Amino acid sequence: MNKRQIMTKVLIFLALSILAISNIYPLLFVFMNSLKDRTEYLKNPFNLPNFKQLAWGNYETMISQFQIFRLFGNTLFISLVTIFFLLALGIVASYAFAKLKFIGKNVIYFLIISSMFVPVQVTIIPLYMLFSKLHLVDTHWAVILTYLGVFLSEAILLMTATFRGIPDEIIEAAELDGAGYFDILRHVIIPMGRPAIILCVIYYFIVTWNDLFTPMILLTNMDSRTVMVALASLISRYSGDPTFQFAGLFLAAIPAILVYAIFQKYIIKGIGEGSTR
Amino acid sequence: MTFSWSANFRKKKALQGILSVLPVIFVMLFIRFYPIGEAIYRSFTNWDGLYKNDWVGIKNYIEIFTDSPFWTLLRNSFVLLISVPLQIFIGLMVAVLLYEEVAGWKFFRAIVYVPQIISAVIIGYLFRIAFGLDGPINGVLRDIGLEFLSIEWLGNSGTALFVLVFCLTWFSIGWQAIIILAGMTKIPPSIIESASLDGANFWQRTFLVIVPMVARTIEYGAIMAIVWTFTGTFAFIYSITYGGPGYETSTIDYMIYTKFYQASADYGFATGLAVILLIIILILTFAEMVFTNKVSDWE
Amino acid sequence: MKNKFQVFVSAIVIIASLLLATGCAGTSQGDDAVKLTVWVNGRDSFIGPSEQKLAQDQWYISQAFKRFEAANPGTTVELVVQSDALQAHQTFRTAGLAGNAPDSANLWAGQFIFALREVTQDITQYVPKEDLEQINGWDTVTLDFKPGSPIIGYPVPNNQVCFFLYNKEIIKAAGLDFEANPPRTMEEFMAALETIKNAGYQPMAADEGQGYTYNFFYIASYWWVQQNGLEPILAEDAGQANFADDQALLTALNAYQDLYTKGYLNQDAATSADSWNKFLAGEVAMIPNGSFGVKDAQDALGIENVGAILPPNISSDAKIKDSLIGGPGQSMVVAKNSKNPEMMVKLLSFLNSKEEVLKLSEFQTIVPVRKDISAEELKLQPGTIAAQMFEWSQNYVFWVDNSLSPAVVDDFNKLLPLVLTGKMTPEELAAQLDKDKGK
Repeated sequence: MNKRQIMTKVLIFLALSILAISNIYPLLFVFMNSLKDRTEYLKNPFNLPNFKQLAWGNYETMISQFQIFRLFGNTLFISLVTIFFLLALGIVASYAFAKLKFIGKNVIYFLIISSMFVPVQVTIIPLYMLFSKLHLVDTHWAVILTYLGVFLSEAILLMTATFRGIPDEIIEAAELDGAGYFDILRHVIIPMGRPAIILCVIYYFIVTWNDLFTPMILLTNMDSRTVMVALASLISRYSGDPTFQFAGLFLAAIPAILVYAIFQKYIIKGIGEGSTR
Repeated sequence: MTFSWSANFRKKKALQGILSVLPVIFVMLFIRFYPIGEAIYRSFTNWDGLYKNDWVGIKNYIEIFTDSPFWTLLRNSFVLLISVPLQIFIGLMVAVLLYEEVAGWKFFRAIVYVPQIISAVIIGYLFRIAFGLDGPINGVLRDIGLEFLSIEWLGNSGTALFVLVFCLTWFSIGWQAIIILAGMTKIPPSIIESASLDGANFWQRTFLVIVPMVARTIEYGAIMAIVWTFTGTFAFIYSITYGGPGYETSTIDYMIYTKFYQASADYGFATGLAVILLIIILILTFAEMVFTNKVSDWE
Repeated sequence: MKNKFQVFVSAIVIIASLLLATGCAGTSQGDDAVKLTVWVNGRDSFIGPSEQKLAQDQWYISQAFKRFEAANPGTTVELVVQSDALQAHQTFRTAGLAGNAPDSANLWAGQFIFALREVTQDITQYVPKEDLEQINGWDTVTLDFKPGSPIIGYPVPNNQVCFFLYNKEIIKAAGLDFEANPPRTMEEFMAALETIKNAGYQPMAADEGQGYTYNFFYIASYWWVQQNGLEPILAEDAGQANFADDQALLTALNAYQDLYTKGYLNQDAATSADSWNKFLAGEVAMIPNGSFGVKDAQDALGIENVGAILPPNISSDAKIKDSLIGGPGQSMVVAKNSKNPEMMVKLLSFLNSKEEVLKLSEFQTIVPVRKDISAEELKLQPGTIAAQMFEWSQNYVFWVDNSLSPAVVDDFNKLLPLVLTGKMTPEELAAQLDKDKGK
């Protein structure tokens, strides 16, 4: 390697390192400040905490009094069920858009995709009224259904684009072997479309886990609320318990990070595995 | 070997197709099409979220175009779009670097998505402090002698919009990198290896080999980024600039949200803005798809 | 892999649904049992700054509800903590439309709840006469502030007032004595700030661009209202006169601007987010704040080091003098779809009773809206800020942003930072407000 190549490598490493540090800093900020007491934080949010007096009590209280794990359970239910139905409905629909021919396909596809362009805020009042008539307000299902409506179009966009890239010959070969509709899905589409599917799992888990707006309106009762909604009540216009909230935010970030850490390997590992069938 | 598909077979396939999309249509009908339809209807009324609902025709739209900061909002929405090519470009670079396993790639790949996990309010607050008059960015600029640049970044529209573009780009790099990486899994490694054996440098490998093969992924990333910039950035704008100074960094989507929160409950106006936003995004997406189709014609 | 994944997911879904089903097993109630649902803000009203760190049954409000339930057998009260005070208004509005609003919600008094008149109930007939006499602030929960109009809720027992906090050490170091000689006129005030500045300290800091922590805005609006009272302002808001012709407004805004141009404020007042941090770190002499910030200031700077002064009077012939912005900014409204308004009003009356307010004062430092509580009963030490706030709260000017119509307030908030930094003239702001009224 000549000098120029070494310089380039060093510069690239430097640039990536700066990016990496900036990426992880917000998380560090939250963690650092969760260990301060409130006055210490207000005086200077950017100092390291006083190591002789770390406020681990914030975490203790989060787990015991605030019952953050129960909130985790609520949010987990919503996220998992949403992803389940998102994939169940989205994969079959995307397969149809990508590979099957039927009347009105393009029009339906266009309508579904363009519904993505309207922010959820605009639709929340009619949705609330609808859920109210169905007695679903203050239940997890109202939130799940709303998420499905909002995210199906994006998921279908991604998966249809991915499935379009699956060679038709493979499908035809499977059909020759006697594969039916579900066999094609199981043995051809899903394995070959795996990167997009894993992407959806990661992305939509994190999005639904962190979402504040929809559950804040549709799911207000204290037993069923999600973790972000509960944490939001700790800060207000004039006062707040920021360090306590940070402890909660840090704990709440952990499942999201875990999901990403576990599933990101599968995106990259997918090379070659699907195409040798 | 070719097959002549019988009419039965085609019908069977068509039926499978329709049944496959039926569940989705059913869900979307209730959860999306009906509320959006109602929103479009309400934009022609003076609805206040409760019982006031008189038809006013295009009065809301006239008010939007003549008596509101709409043109500033439009300008701001479009300026924020600058973050889209930036995030795709940088995301692409990061994706290729991670793919080619530069030093420390495992660690970088683990970290790159973390911004997407942190709440926008915290990120916004940190950016606001970072670019504050006494913040670290100005501190560094002063230290390296560029003192004339250490201004009140959030104090005037040009530099405040720059800070927003910077933040949105930074936030989205990880997401773009991951989806491009996912798209790159279908590229047989042999192609890239032979390209570098042929003497292709990094740029040539990236833009002449990789990009054409992940064009659909990049297109998806571009569309999603455009839509997100127009509809999903409220929390960032709120926590960095509060849409200010005045309306200088408010976007159309930001205005929709604030109109919904205000006690005046001018929901007719807000839904009118939403309809206009929908039309703008439709036009942009259509243009984007035409553009990428033209580009792929060149291959 | 997909099979395993599916099985895993299905297992989780099934387990979670079972857990939920058992958790959701509702208690069935007989027809004569009364269940009240009450939304309360997570802070600034019944729940104190750090109360959420305690177990829920140790909160003041939970215990108060228990006491009420014990005194009224057959009644249960469900507490719901609102996650966002502003969002709660929209949620209440929509819930009201659907007919399932809670029996009572903790919302901002004045215009914010007048906008919800169609989903709130007139409770005048249930309010005991004694409450009407002993509690301040009924006009803030009476539609359009007009006596005789429907009353739609109770004021929250906590009065909040806006004044200046100052750092005693810095003031002393600058050679001033605010305890003996607080600046009471605009000239004295400006002179004091000039002295502090010349002594090398940052006189004042404010974060006007943050939207809702516009504490300095509260002071500026006090200067506006005190000159001619609130009635002319309300008349302008109603369209009977013009903001552009309101000399009081222009005078107040000019004073507001002056403080900035003379260099008494931080240069980035329109965009900063760290003024409060700086004051708590002891780097700023004064800061506009209010009853809500006192405890944090005392914790950070030390109780002996924090003082409070009233805003100065903008002119000697102002109609209202030596007062400040404040009042019960929050209320508990009763929803129209509430099936038990009488019982709900009983609960609100209970929460506003003298015994309950005294109990609340054990959890938080409050400034009561009841007229029959004395400083001694609240155990306020003379000379403390708490005692000062109590005295000042006997004579306040109600929050301007709860009094003006929403469109005017929204633009006022948005554009004030521009006026402060000189990017907009007071006349231009007044003209914009004229365009907004009646919307």
